[in-house]
Amino acid sequence: MQVIIHTNSNGGVSVTVPTGEISIQAVKEKDTPEGSIIVDDSTLPQGSDAQFFDAWELSGSTVSVNFEKAKAIKLAQFNSKAVEEAQKRQLNTLAGLENTPDNATWSASLTAGRASIASATTTAELVAI
Amino acid sequence: MAGVIVADTLQDGAGNSTAMDNAIYGSAKAWVNWNGASGASPTIYAAYNVSSVTRTGTGAYTLAFTNALVDANYAPVSGCNTDANNGGVVKLSGSPSGALYGKSTTALSIVACNSNNGSASDTNQLSIAIFR
Repeated sequence: MQVIIHTNSNGGVSVTVPTGEISIQAVKEKDTPEGSIIVDDSTLPQGSDAQFFDAWELSGSTVSVNFEKAKAIKLAQFNSKAVEEAQKRQLNTLAGLENTPDNATWSASLTAGRASIASATTTAELVAI
Repeated sequence: MAGVIVADTLQDGAGNSTAMDNAIYGSAKAWVNWNGASGASPTIYAAYNVSSVTRTGTGAYTLAFTNALVDANYAPVSGCNTDANNGGVVKLSGSPSGALYGKSTTALSIVACNSNNGSASDTNQLSIAIFR
């Protein structure tokens, strides 16, 4: 499938998909900024790389993943989930319920997870954390 | 064949009728249903009066109308599936914070969010219908 891509105001990549009501050339002229290019979506990052859309960068007609950005995104997601889990554990404590695993083990797992993110070398490794 | 039908009421063969205003103002002026979690690019399931869907960030999209609306006072109605682990909600803005509000006669920006923590999130079912 053909799509239209351009670098957006955040420095990332925007991907425009035509619905088919008008031609892709007409969409390019009407809906995307000057300098946008038409590519086949099979040339865009796939698999685990596709899961880090906000880390995509466009150079020429090639889109690739900025891995440092991907790691920062993964760390933010990891920390967000840690906060949610911490809130649940706090509620459990207030309700007199047992937290599983215990606090020390859970805290150690967070430290290990952050270390795994820091040492990851591929997006597949990041997804697996 | 081009032509104009002028009437105040629409009626079917069984005698069921409705005011013409219901057909004019009660029908969607644009709509689109797409998959935002289909990999590298969104997948459009079906659309009317929408020329394109642009993914601008995780969960963030701009819909462009094929034919411009009469003004930007239209009512967008949205729906979405949950993401992998949490409930989903669609915000009518260009970012989860709502800072980049985008609603014009030619385009509408929306962002799908995790209903638990408000972060942008993609799901496999996103729908927007525009009434005016």
